[in-house]
Parts: sequence; structure tokens; C-alpha cells
Amino acid sequence: MSTVMAASGAGSAGHAPPAAHRRAWAVLAAEWIKLRSLRSMLVTPLLGAIACVGLADLAVRHHATGWPHLDAVQRAQFDPLAINFNFVTLGILLFGVLGALVVTNEYGSGVIRTTLAATPQRGLVLAAKAVLVGPGSFALAMVIIFGAFFTGQGILSGAHAPHLSLSDHHVLVHLLGMAGYMAAAGLLGLFTGVLVRSAAVAVTSMFGLLLVLPLMADKITPNALTRHTVPYLPMNLGDRMLRPIQGLSPGVAVAGLAAWVLVLAAAAAFSLRGRDA
Amino acid sequence: MNAQAGTVPRRGTSLDSRLRATARSEWIKFRSVRSSPLALVAAALIVVVGAWLLGVGNRDSAAASPDSGAAFDPVFTVFQAIELAQLFIAALGVTTVTGEYASGLIRGTFLATPQRAQVLAIKALVFTVAVWACCTAMSYQAFFLGQAALSPAKHAGIGDPGVLTAVFGAGLYLTLIGLLGMFIGVLVRSTSAALISLFGLLVVLPIAFIEIPGKITKNLAEYLPDAGEQAFQLLHTGSYTLGPWQGLGVLAGYVAAAAVTAFALIVRRDA
Repeated sequence: MSTVMAASGAGSAGHAPPAAHRRAWAVLAAEWIKLRSLRSMLVTPLLGAIACVGLADLAVRHHATGWPHLDAVQRAQFDPLAINFNFVTLGILLFGVLGALVVTNEYGSGVIRTTLAATPQRGLVLAAKAVLVGPGSFALAMVIIFGAFFTGQGILSGAHAPHLSLSDHHVLVHLLGMAGYMAAAGLLGLFTGVLVRSAAVAVTSMFGLLLVLPLMADKITPNALTRHTVPYLPMNLGDRMLRPIQGLSPGVAVAGLAAWVLVLAAAAAFSLRGRDA
Repeated sequence: MNAQAGTVPRRGTSLDSRLRATARSEWIKFRSVRSSPLALVAAALIVVVGAWLLGVGNRDSAAASPDSGAAFDPVFTVFQAIELAQLFIAALGVTTVTGEYASGLIRGTFLATPQRAQVLAIKALVFTVAVWACCTAMSYQAFFLGQAALSPAKHAGIGDPGVLTAVFGAGLYLTLIGLLGMFIGVLVRSTSAALISLFGLLVVLPIAFIEIPGKITKNLAEYLPDAGEQAFQLLHTGSYTLGPWQGLGVLAGYVAAAAVTAFALIVRRDA
């Protein structure tokens, strides 16, 4: 102890600065406590599960009972995966909102000032949040997606309608892609939250960006402008994880989503370093 | 002097002057929160610029074959951006109330005016007047700009049957959405919870009802709050049977239900 004090030397009563990896662990632990004690952390994934599993199963049940009455053309268009994941949009939206609330709640309550006073390395704080929100929402999304897949396909197979199993062509890739997309939505929400610092603005932007904007864009007759912008909205890039879309390869979709996340991350890091809390 | 002033019993303020003072303070709070003018500006930009973009973007389909021309609604086409702008007006309504709860200002408000029902009524009145004026102005601008953008193709004039109702109805629709947000804000007192439940009601539920096919959902879907969107449509397509005023009436019913609950709770709960 005394040697440490001596080493910190001429300084008045200061501690030695902690080693970088110990500081990183401490920040991660602090962020984890804040994350798991957030009420939205419980409510939002629960709502996501209700939408993606509960509502989806209702829809699947309807399609399954209708299967024997379909004609040949409708049978050819029957897509067990798309029917199963009609509601995944809502889950993605909720993950975006959850990511936003992780940080805007801190601004709302003022805890952010304590956080930044304890760890003046603001980039590190943001990185710790991203490390928890990204993989954390991926894990939650996996539970929801696989729950939806097994219950939905189970209903279809019970009704002797076409159904898929995990070993079928590309099914696992689709499921992983959707879970990854949910995690990306969580990160988009987190970085948007850092940028706007207000729960109201962040939640409104998430609903606008992820749900309403693509819906509205669909209603415009395709023209030169929309053809080159609309497919790159995050929701449309994410849709590529579920079904093939003309002119958008899976690689481009993943790269596009990653670009959205990275650009917002850079903007958030820049803004967090420069602004007051 | 001071001691004397302390002992003189204060006269109770008259209802009239109290309401006027409350209105003044609610107006100050409404306009001085940085986000309220911003939300209105954002909504106006989306509605007006969106009307122009939608007009230009749909010029081709408006000029297309006479068949699709008959099913083409020049008013709703340019007003679709309202579906995005409503999020901002809804958020404005929510934060008008929840912002006060978050900052603790609501305790000062209720201390100054213990007649809580009057505070809420005046708050709603100030909000209605300000938002209705802005939204009606933006809907008129959006109409003329959007029709000008459509103009070589089929477009509507302000005197055409149903058009004035639609333009007026768009402003009313946005105002009612804002009021719904305000009363839900009183009910849940938290910005994020209020926004999630409101957006769920406005945007998510209609989609969920479409995705779950069936007779019950089809009949119920017509009576969700977004029935108010019938107000700014000339053609009432699909399974919808409500006209513009009935649609607005359904939305007003939701607002009234939320308002009754809000008035009942605000006098009872802590702040």
C-alpha cells in the first residue's frame, strides 16, 4: 500500500491510475448493473416475445388451417418461413427502443453525470455499453427467434402444411441473420440515444426510422431516387435476412446494416466526447 | 409592513382570474420547452416537404391509365406523410405532461394551483389551440404544394367535393393524436412508457390486425384509433366503411376515454 502511495509520488492524495484492463472490467461491471436493473430490460424483451412468438403463432395457426383449401398457385406461394416471421418487425422495433432507453434513461435521471465523473474516458463508457447491448440483444433475440421458429413450424407440421426444420437449406442462416439484425437494431437505438440524449426523441426516431419510413416509402411509385435509397433503409436491409429481395445480395445487406451501425457509432462517440452531460 | 402583510388573510382568487393565470403559465411552459417548437417544426417539415415529394413521386401513377386514375386519391397521396408526422405530434403531447413529471415541475404546478382538474383542462386547451393552429396551417400548405407537384397529372382543387373536409380533417386528426398522447402521458407519467404504448396503439396494432387474418380482426381493425386517418382520404377503399367524420369520431372517442380516466386519476395520485 505504502509503496503504491509512494509510487503515485509527489501527487497530493491521488490513487495510482488503475491498469487499463482493470478499468475496462470495472466499467463493464458498472454498465452491467445499470443494464440489468433497468425496468425496460424486462418489459421490452417480454413484449418482443409476445409479438414475435404469440402473435406470430396466431397468424401461423390461421394459415395452417387454411392450407387444405388453397389452390395450386397459392400453394406454390406458401412460404413457411415468411408466414412464421411476419411479426419479427415488431421485435426489431422493440430492440431498437430498448437500446435507446438504455442510455436516455441515464440522461433522464442524471446518472450519466455520475457515470462520466467516475470514468472520464467517455469512449470507454460507450464501448462498454455497446459490448453489453450488442451481444446481449443477440442472445435475447436468439431465444425469441428460435422460440418462434419451433412453435410456428410445429403448428404447421401438426396441420400437415409445408414446414421447415433447422437442417433445411439456409434456414439456420436466415434465423441467425434475423437475430443479428435485432442486435443491430439494439445498437442503432443505443447510438441514436447517445446522439439525441432524450427518450422522447430517441423513441420517436426509432419508430420513424424502423417502421413508418419504410412503410411510406413503399407507397411511392418507384423512381430514380427511391430505387437507390429505399432498399438501404435499415428495415429493408434487415428484411433481406428473411426473404430474397430483388437486386440486393445478402452480402450487401449485411454490409449495409454494419455501415449504419458503424456510422452512428462514430457519430455517437464523437458527440459524447465533445458535449456536456 | 411585512408582518402586517403576513397576518392579512388572502382573499381567494376568483375562478376567472385563476383560470387566466393558469392558462398563462401553461402557455409559458409549452412554448419554453425547447422540444415543443422543434417537434412542431419537424412535423411541419415532414408534412409539407413530404407532400411535395409524394406529389412528384406519384405524378406518373396519377397520369397512368384511366383505370388506375379512378382509384387514385390525389388528396391522400400527398397527405401520407402525416403517418410519419403524427409520431412527432404524439410525442409532443406526451412530453408536454411527462416532461413535467420527469423534471419535478409538476409539484410546483400543483402547489401553485391545487385545482388539478383545472390545470389539466387548461393544459389541454392551450395545447389544442396551439397545435391545431399549426397543424391546420401545415395541412393547407401541404395540400397546395402537393397538388402543385402533381399538377400536370390528375390533381384536386380546394373546391372539389370532400377536399375542404379532408384538408381541415388532417389538422384535426393531428390535434386529436396529440391530445391522446397528452392524456396517456397523464395516465402513465413516464415518457418512454407513454410513447411505447401510444405508438403501439397508433402504428403497431393496425399492422398486427392486418397480419392476423380473420373476421373479428377485420371488423375491429376499423375501430382502432387510426380510423381517424379516414379524415384525409377522398376514396374510402378496402373494407373500410367509415366516412371522414365517423373516422374522426372514433379517434375522438379514444381521446375522450383517455381524458376521463386522466381527469379521474390526476386528482387522486401523487405527483
